Amino acid sequence: MIDIKKEIQKDRRAFIKNVLGGTIAGSLLLVIPAGAALDSKLPEQLPGMRGDDSVFTEKKFVFIVDVTACIGCGSCCVADKNEYNVPDGNYRTWVERYIIDDHDEVFVDSPNGGLDGYTEPRTDIPFPVRDTFFVPKLCNMCEKPSCVQVCPVGATYKTEDGFILIDKDRCVGCGYCIQACPYSVRYLNPLTRTADKCTWCYHRVRKGLLPACVNVCPVHARKFGDLNDKTSEVYRLLREPHVISVLKPGMGNKPALHYLGLRREVV
Amino acid sequence: MDKEYKSHYYSHVVRIAFFLVIGGVLAVVARGLFLPDTMGQYGHYRGSNIEEQKNVEVRNHTNESCYECHRPIRLIHKAGVHQTVSCEFCHGPYADHIQDGKYVEKLPVKRDMEIKALCLRCHNKVIRARPEDSIKMVAMPQHLEEKKVQTDHNCNQCHMVHDPLLWIKAAREMMGLPMKEDKK
Repeated sequence: MIDIKKEIQKDRRAFIKNVLGGTIAGSLLLVIPAGAALDSKLPEQLPGMRGDDSVFTEKKFVFIVDVTACIGCGSCCVADKNEYNVPDGNYRTWVERYIIDDHDEVFVDSPNGGLDGYTEPRTDIPFPVRDTFFVPKLCNMCEKPSCVQVCPVGATYKTEDGFILIDKDRCVGCGYCIQACPYSVRYLNPLTRTADKCTWCYHRVRKGLLPACVNVCPVHARKFGDLNDKTSEVYRLLREPHVISVLKPGMGNKPALHYLGLRREVV
Repeated sequence: MDKEYKSHYYSHVVRIAFFLVIGGVLAVVARGLFLPDTMGQYGHYRGSNIEEQKNVEVRNHTNESCYECHRPIRLIHKAGVHQTVSCEFCHGPYADHIQDGKYVEKLPVKRDMEIKALCLRCHNKVIRARPEDSIKMVAMPQHLEEKKVQTDHNCNQCHMVHDPLLWIKAAREMMGLPMKEDKK
């Protein structure tokens, strides 16, 4: 107490300055977000990605969907919609239900893209069902992407580490890429009026997190990893003998999205 | 002889050359004005977009982020058979609840038949496309009849949603009944 009085008497101006400065600094601490600290709290699901500030990574990412494991719960679709606030009626990822009867007739449906899950069995199958399974769909991240080739303004591009991304500021919404994509993963976002599609959660991957859909899958049907890492699960799966294939190999796009246990009826 | 037929008027050529030069200059100026700075830095696209793509907001976190605060649930959820189920699947995205490390809004709590609908998204036996042996499937209302309870019972009356077998196991232990073999 005595000290404070002394301080004030010594230099009133400096004292007020100090008090004011302290108050302002203290209140700023409450306002300034603790974003950076929060990020470091998140687990690093992809080793070596956090702190990698280079423009392109040295990694070669692949996505593997295990058709034999998918239970069609739609967790991935829910996570995807939440992550990007995808407008209703558009889907960055969706889950299809395939039903093949014993006359080799194929029935495919995907009510609301699997977003609400599958609640009802199909009753319109004329013959006994031979086989039935779920196929999740998302961007194939082609090595030779048709969408990039047709973009007239350079809005869609392929990064050196294999991601196909869309520059929202550059896109004019002409829709060429939507027609060019053999896998129909693109849609015209009605809010931004630009093309939009799955990015394999580029922003999450660059922060060391798994894509949102991979992170939530309860049965581990979606796998994501670096092919250059010889210890990764995806490397092991692609190297060892498995029934593994890509969609529409005849299109020559060479997708980085692989399917485990894919049936030939799937398109 | 040739000279007679050769024109001495060059004004049209000069005019064309003049407009070509003007056009060229205009094109260069327009290119400089309208083309983004980083266009063509790494390829035929705006190089600075990569940085923008990196900074997209992460809205879904991991279960670990939820456990930071919700400690009692962590103990139950992590020990049970539902440990691979994402918190955000039922409760909603992290970013709607916490922004910049600060509480924003309460996430909606699922009640009554919403819970049943969520359970049946995975455990409905009627949907035959699901691989068998992966998870436990039940048919409704046969499951309720089998367990000799009323058919309007909700799932969470017997099953704790965060660890569905928690109460079942506890009840079996209390009654001295043998434990069922755990499936995976």
